[in-house]
This record gives sequence, structure tokens and C-alpha cells, in this order.
Amino acid sequence: MRVPYNWLKEYVDLSGISPPELADRLVMTGTAVESVQTLKPSFQQVIVGEIKEMVRHPRADKLWICQVSLGHRPATIVCGATNIKVGDKVPVARPGAILQGAVLEAREIREVKSQGMLCSEAELGLGEDQSGILILDPSCQVGLPLDEALGLRDTVLELEITPNRPDCLGLIGIAREVAAIFGRPLTVPSVHVEEGELPASHWIRISIADSDLCLRYSGRLLQGVEVKPSPLWMQVRLGAVGLRPINNVVDVTNYVMWETSQPLHAFDYGKIENQQIIVRRAREGEKIVTLDGVERYLESEMLVIADDHNPVALAGVMGGVETEVSENTSVTLLESANFDPVSILRTSQKLGLRSEASNRFEKGLDPNQSLYALDRAAMLMREVAGGTILKGAVDIYPRRLAPWRLQLRPKRVIQILGCPISKKEIKAILGSLELEVSGEEPLEVTVPTFRRDLEREIDLIEEVARLYGYDKFPSTLPASSGRVGELSWEQKRINLVREVMIGCGLWETINYSFTDHKSMDKAGLKVADPRRHSVAIANPIIEDFSILKTTLLLGLLQVIEKNCRVDKENVFIFELAKTYHPRDGQDLPHEPRALAAAITGLWFGRFWSEPVRKVDFYDLKGIVEELARALDLQEPQWLPTSYDPFYEGKCAWVEIGGERVGIAGQIHPLVIKRYEIPNEVFAFELDLDRILALPTCQKEFRGIPRYPSITVDLALIVDEEVNYLQVRDVIQTGGGKGLKDVTLFDVYRGRQIPEGKKSLAFSLTFQEEDRTLRDEEVQEKVDRIVQELNRELGAELRSR
Amino acid sequence: MSNGNRGSLADKIEEIVSQTLKEIDRASALAELQSIEISCLGRKGHLTGILRTLGSLDPQERPWIGKLANQGKERIKERLRLRQVELEHKELRKELAKETIDITLPGRPVRRGVKNIITSVVEEITEIFVGLGYRVAEGPDVELDYYNFEALNMPPDHPARSLWDTLYVTDKVLLRTHTSPVQIRYMEEHEPPIYIIAPGKVYRRDYDISHAPMFHQIEGLAVDKNISMADLKGTLEAFTRAVFGPEARIRFRPSYFPFTEPSAEVDVSCVICGGKGCRVCSDSGWLEILGAGMVDSNLYKYVGYDPEEVSGFAFGMGVDRIAMLKYGISDIRLFFENDLRFLEQFR
Repeated sequence: MRVPYNWLKEYVDLSGISPPELADRLVMTGTAVESVQTLKPSFQQVIVGEIKEMVRHPRADKLWICQVSLGHRPATIVCGATNIKVGDKVPVARPGAILQGAVLEAREIREVKSQGMLCSEAELGLGEDQSGILILDPSCQVGLPLDEALGLRDTVLELEITPNRPDCLGLIGIAREVAAIFGRPLTVPSVHVEEGELPASHWIRISIADSDLCLRYSGRLLQGVEVKPSPLWMQVRLGAVGLRPINNVVDVTNYVMWETSQPLHAFDYGKIENQQIIVRRAREGEKIVTLDGVERYLESEMLVIADDHNPVALAGVMGGVETEVSENTSVTLLESANFDPVSILRTSQKLGLRSEASNRFEKGLDPNQSLYALDRAAMLMREVAGGTILKGAVDIYPRRLAPWRLQLRPKRVIQILGCPISKKEIKAILGSLELEVSGEEPLEVTVPTFRRDLEREIDLIEEVARLYGYDKFPSTLPASSGRVGELSWEQKRINLVREVMIGCGLWETINYSFTDHKSMDKAGLKVADPRRHSVAIANPIIEDFSILKTTLLLGLLQVIEKNCRVDKENVFIFELAKTYHPRDGQDLPHEPRALAAAITGLWFGRFWSEPVRKVDFYDLKGIVEELARALDLQEPQWLPTSYDPFYEGKCAWVEIGGERVGIAGQIHPLVIKRYEIPNEVFAFELDLDRILALPTCQKEFRGIPRYPSITVDLALIVDEEVNYLQVRDVIQTGGGKGLKDVTLFDVYRGRQIPEGKKSLAFSLTFQEEDRTLRDEEVQEKVDRIVQELNRELGAELRSR
Repeated sequence: MSNGNRGSLADKIEEIVSQTLKEIDRASALAELQSIEISCLGRKGHLTGILRTLGSLDPQERPWIGKLANQGKERIKERLRLRQVELEHKELRKELAKETIDITLPGRPVRRGVKNIITSVVEEITEIFVGLGYRVAEGPDVELDYYNFEALNMPPDHPARSLWDTLYVTDKVLLRTHTSPVQIRYMEEHEPPIYIIAPGKVYRRDYDISHAPMFHQIEGLAVDKNISMADLKGTLEAFTRAVFGPEARIRFRPSYFPFTEPSAEVDVSCVICGGKGCRVCSDSGWLEILGAGMVDSNLYKYVGYDPEEVSGFAFGMGVDRIAMLKYGISDIRLFFENDLRFLEQFR
């Protein structure tokens, strides 16, 4: 809501209050100020002059030589306009003045020196009219700078009006706030409608068919109006608040709306069939072309203003083209009504059509203000468009809204605000807002109908609070004792998971919860993949954000893709976020927490002292193993599988304690190719909720061993098909309790190893807790292990 | 033997000793010390030679000449030991000097990960409120219209619904536009006193330099006996100072939210210009950082509390916005691009 300071001054005395101070106090009482702008006309140094004398230019019969009074001294100006005469007040640009960015210079026109020029509306940037010189109002003071004379020097406060205060969508409402804040009187323009003899009720019949949606409908008729551009002062004001001047009739309706918050509409009476206005619900299949030129198909819940046959306006939203006021209009029907807010909101939403009017009606206006606004508009219209106001307003107002009473307990005010505000102060504040207060305990407060937002005691407390000033409240902390703030066990575990990931060298990313089917295609998820079953957004902002993600992997792949595009090819990232899975028969999806990581490129980048190394599957596996250790879980088991978007044979289910908790592996080369990622990518995705539900192994202290250990190296040759875990299991079983550690330190294929075989080298550490081991004892154990390995897996000893 | 003979032997010992000590001092290598030791104290050494002749001396002189010679031997041994330590050090230094490294070469990189800046800010804020006695609650991202709007005092067709540009799944299911639904969900499940914060993702149908369709909020809720607006003010002041530093000035001004009354917005003095006015604060000197207010008593009706018995306050803040202000980030979408060149700045 744009509020020109000088316009606001008409309703409340602002002397001694600068625009910044006004803005500041409005902010501190609950009206947010988005900006305070100084209006700057596109011209400079143009002043008001009066034409004192006009003579024909001796050497050009289309030019005049004018003597123009500028207050202190006259100027001679050559001018070719035809619309000026002696005595007219006109804008004069002197040499040095700036017009539309150009500096004006004195020049000679056919040997007569012109000391400036007279300006048209267009030259001043005030309008489109360039047909002649702008003739100013005779009341303009000669010599005054034009911007001042026209009220163009102004400051506009752009206010953000909250939806509970539609009364502040009019300058009078804002002036009422300002009056309360500064303790000054409010001046509402008085209206005296000079009416003609003909009674309006003979010329127009108004009825409300659906009174549930229309509380009041009032109309006035103006006969013999001359539709033309509005006077400049009105155009200037409308321009300052951001409304485009159209013609005097329409401009008056907008002007009064800005003043009172009451939207008004002017019809071309001659186009209304059968002199009949019916406020009714639309009939199914009816349509109307609105003023924006769009044909609208109406539904039976939409309220329309209709004549005998057709809708002529969408009630409270926009008028119809058919009955639009034009230059040919001679009789105008002026409408001021009150519509049901919900109905207006629904209609406007359904049609995707918002207007200044709908924005006001949908918040609920005071039905008692509509007649005032109607009279004010009729009066102004007669001033600027001439004509006669027909006798009487036709006012249909079936159920009058009366002021209501609320109780306010002064003790409750203090209790809620935590601030000792006296009863006297409370009364003064409410009084300043035009609320009548009587009684003592509780106070009886009568609420005027323009404050429909005040319905409960707490609403009154808020009024007291904001005008008293939040800055005067004390600052305290809640007194309740015995409460302990802490994170839950689960929340702490989640934080730990994140710390482990960071400790493992991964960078935390946060990706949008959205994805789309294209991304799933790109990652190669098959049509039947359960992850295709997703939550769809009904009104996505862009197609890429049309569904909610069911896996974190796509987001991570995209991050790698984007970074590779800017030559950041070593990427180590994770994300800890929810995924979203629709549930049959339930409104809300399942939102399990997931943890995913993806790594690609060189683990350390290039470094001067060692060769570069690309990440591989075992870097990834190490991270999962470390996570399990940190969370005190059992060692993860890895089960080969095939799963999109992974590489078959390089992909495994991760199981912990027999529970499947996720998937890990190398991303399929075809997928990598589609993402244009140059290096192999390894990734895992774990179901964090499942992991958090797993039983943990409590950490337990064991004494530091007191007896020395013996370490033996063992190199075995086994068939390719035999895997590490099989070998390790046999070693561990064979080694028994005294075998404290089994470390694989080499895997070798090649020279000295037969085709189809590989060598695995282990280092075995033995230790007893109650004695020093003897070498022979260990040797015996190792021999037994080797025998077992040979028997179960066909392993041969390579060396010791 | 004559006195003169006796005197000359003593002199000779003195001379050998002082000569040897000088040689020791001059020696520049351990090998030299060794040969000095041999030539003086060895089996055929000068001093050893004299000691061997002691037997032929006058028994009267023998003790003191012997003493003289032994003292000399001890002095030489001591000096040898000291000089040996000295030379060993010197040689070690020489040895080590050969191994000098270029200490200006870059250090071996450590692969430390990075916490996302949003997470850092959430943790920072959470810590402050945990310190003030709050617990952390959570709620679903996909939410019922009921929790997101209706139970927050915005029945269908409430004009304030238009304050949020909402992403819908169905007519009654949506992506939560704020973390406020957690208030209702938590109150449904718990009895006062309640002191919680609820961080989480929220969604709006907006996408430009200052709006992302997904961002993060932290909701706060305190419901107890006799909670007042002054408590809200004190709590938020404590919070703001903790996040923006003790010099930050705070402004508490009236506002409107459908689910709080009275409502407030909290501004902090502009972190960029310090309050003088700049582009970031649109010349106002203030930055809006959170919305708050006393829980509207209508909400209590939805969860079965008696508004005459308990009162409370609630607040909500944009985490991303706070991060933007703290670090001078101009485009909110950067948080979700995950460009490594952005992430690495917060290592």
C-alpha cells in the first residue's frame, strides 16, 4: 500500500513529523514499511508562469511571441502552440532546466531570442498529451517550482499491510493509526452530495438475490457526465500510488478506494439492460469478458452483478467490458457494495484473477463504510466530470452490522504481556483507536465496525501492546524450574553419524527434496523399480522439481556431474536426509532418514611426494565399516547383488546383525557416461532409521595384555573363487581364543602363482592373557590352521 | 737420587700433562682423541712410561710423584671425556646438517570432511536453546493441510493462507510451508510445560535469488504457566546476542501471524553496515531475522489445553537467511547447488 505523505496529510495533522519518523513509528506499532521513496519528477527547474501578452511572430505566422510573468521578472518566449491565451498559467522551462534528461538552452527562433519554452504534458513526462501546452489550474502560484505547485514533491511510504487489517488498505485507515500513534485528531473528509430532482430509484432497480454473499449493495446515478482525462492533481496522486489514470470516472472510483479502502465500480448505465441490477450467483455456463479482455467461464459459486439477462461484472473482482465507461457514456451507475470475503477469495483464486478490489474484499471490509465512499465518489465525480447526481442512493442493506462489545481484564493484559500497564494507559490506548471503553473490572469495550479484526479479548491486548510499544517491555526468561535441555539418544546418534562421515573425509551436501522422472531415467532406474513410486507435487514450480526423492543417490550423482563440469573431478560427498515413499491407504508418505555417500577421483589429489591414487570400492567399504564401529554395531556383512544404478559384480547389500541396511557399490559405467563423469564413482545408501534401531554392543573395558604376543605371517595359494572371508573364517575358527588378530596384508596374482589361483598373505597375532606363549605352541596352532585351510578350501602354503 | 732428579721428573710429568691437554683441546675429530689417548695413556704412552719408572724411585719420593702422575692421568682422562662429548655433538650436527629438509614444501594433505554451513548454523542455534532448557522435536515434511494451516488458526479460505505460496500434493496434503505444524503435533502428544525447538526443511513455491523452493527453519515453542511476552522478548534477545554477537542491537516490533497474538518480528542491526543503512538492509539499518508471538489461544483448543491455565510463545526463523546474513551470502540457491568451490569456503 503506497502512501504519499502529502496526501496522508489531508486526513491527519503531520506537522513536525518527518517521513522517516512517521515510517519509524509505523514500524514500531506494527505496520511494516518496505521503503520510503522520494518522488522525483523527470524535469527540473520548471516553474509556473502566467502569459501576460501574446503577439504574432513577425517572421513566422504559426508562432507566438509570449511575454510570460515568472513572478520576479518576465521572460520572452517563442511558442507555436494553439491552445494558449493571455492569462493562462503554464509550465515554463528556463534555459538550464532539465526536460527528460536533456538540458534546455536559450535559442533564437527566426531572429527572436526565446528565453525558455512552454511545456506540454508529454514534455514534462506527466502524461501522454502532446497536443498543446499544459494549462495549469488558475490557483497555481506564479513563480513557484512546478513540482511543488503540482504536489509532485512528495515522499511515498510503501507499507506492508497484514491480512488482518483491511481497514489500512485505505489512507483514512492509516491516518487513524497515525492519529492514535501521535495523539492527533483524525479528519475524515465531509461529504455533501448536491442532488438533482430526479429520484435514482425510478431509474434503477437493485436487488440482492444471494444475500449470504452480498451484505450490502448501494448505487447512485450520475447523469450527463463528461468522460475525459482527470485533472492533473488527481492523475498525479494516482500515479504516485501506482494506479494508471484512465478517465475521470474510473479515476474517481480508484481515488476514493485508495482513500477509504472501499472498492467502487462505475458502469455505463446505458448498457445495463432493463435498468435492473441483480446480485446473484452465476449460472452454470455463463461467461463474461472482464475488463482485462479475457473471457471468463463462470461457476455457480461465483457471485456476479447481472442486469436483466447477463452478468455485467464479477462481483468484487472485476467489471465487464460490455458495461465499461467510455467517452460515449453519459449516465453512470456508481456501485459501492460489500461482499462475502470467502466468496471473493475463492472466485479470484479459481479464475487466477487478483485485483485491487478483490484484495480488499477478500479480507472483509466494513459494510457501514460503503455508503460514505459512494457519496464521496459521487461528489468528486460531479466535480471532475460534471453532470447531475440523481436524487437518493439506492441502498440495499438487509442485515445491518452493529458495533459489538468485548470484555477486557486489565490483569490479563499484564499477565500476557509481562509488563505493568495501568488501567488508565489501557483506556487511553483503546480510546485513541476509537474504541469506546466503559466499566472497570473487566473493561467493557465497544468495537467499531471498521475493526472487524477485533473479535476477542486477546485482540484488544494486542492493540494495547503494540501502541504501548514492545520496546518498553521488560526482558525476562521463563521462570519454570527443573527442566533440562538435551538431545535425545537418537538425535545424538544422528549427529555422531555426521561427525563420522566428516571424519572420513566426506563433505556434507544438502540437496533439494525434489527430483523428476527424467533424473530416474538418467540413473537407469527401471520402470518397475519401487523407487519410481513417488510423491508427486500437484503444482510443481518447475518440471525438475515435480516429485519428491525416493533415494539420495540421484542428488549426489548430480552434484558430482555439476562439479565435474567445472573441472572439480575429485568429489567426496555425503547427504543425510529424508526420502519420501507413498504408503497405501495413508495420506502422508513414509519419510525414513537415509545416509548416502559418493566418492570419485583422486583421494588426495596430486602431491609432490607420492603417486596419485584413484578411489576404489574399498575406500567406500572402509567408510561403512568405520561407521559401524563408531556406532558400536556388529561388523557389516557384504552380500553380492545387482541393483540400479550400480555395476553388477561390484555391488553389495550391506547387512548388519542379519538386517539389510543398505546398498553399496560402483556406479554403472553407462550411468557415469550419461552424467559425463570422467572417473569411476563409488556410492552407498543406507537406511539410517534401520541402523539407529539396531542393537549396539556396549563398549567394555578389558585389561591391557600383560604377556607378549607372537606374530606369524602366512602366505596361502587359493583358487580364484575362494574369497577372503572364507579364508579368514577358517583361520579364526582354527586359531581359537588365543588368536587375537588376523590381518590380510597382500593379495597377489602373477609370477610364481599358477593361472586361476591367487596368493593371500596374512599376519596372525597370538596372545594369551595368563601366560607367555611358547613358539612351539604357536607353531602347532598354525599347522592346524593350515591343515584346516587345505581341507576346507584347498589352500596351499606358499611360504611362512 | 738427588733433589734435582726428583724435580725434573715432576716437571716432566707436568709438561706431558699440559702438552696433552692442549692437544686434546686442539683435536678436531674423535679419531684424533683416540690417538692422543693411546700416545699418552696407552701401554707405550708417555705418562704410562713414567708411571712404570715409579718403582725405581726413592721410596720417599714415590708416593708424591706417583700421586702427581695419577692426578695428571685423571685430568687427561676427564678432559678426553669432555672433549669426546663435544666432538660427538659436533659430528652429529654435521651429520644432521646433511639431512636438512625443505620445510617450505607443502604439508601432506589430510582428508578432513566439511560440515554443511546450514548444519553448522542449525547446530549453533540448537546448542543455544538446549542451554536454555529446550529439547528438539521433529515433524514430517509432507504435512496435512490441517497441521500446516487449519490448526494454526487458518481454516480453509482464510486470507492469511496467501502469505505462503504452497506446494500441494493433494487437496489436503502439502509440503509444509513452515515448521509451525510441529507446534500442534507436539502439543497433541505432550502436556505442558513444553520447551522445544524444531529444525527442519520447509517448502514454498518460489524460486529466485532470495527464495529457494526448499529451505530451513527452526521453530520454537514454550508453553507453561504464566509465560509472558516479556519472556519471549528476553529469550529472543539472549538468542540473538549469542548468534550475532554482544554488539548486535535488537528490535522487537509488532507484526501479524494467524497463529500468534500478539505477534512480533525481530530485527537485528544490519551485520553489513552496522545499522547505518546499506543495500542489504534496504537502507533501514535493520535485518528481519525471525517472527514470533504469544501462541494464539485458539491453538490450545485444537490440542485440548485450557488457555486460562497456560500461556506460551512461539517463534520461527529462517536458518538459510541467518547463514546468509552471517557470511554475507547473496544468493540462497547457492546452499543447494553444492558447488565444491562454495562448500570449501566453510571448511
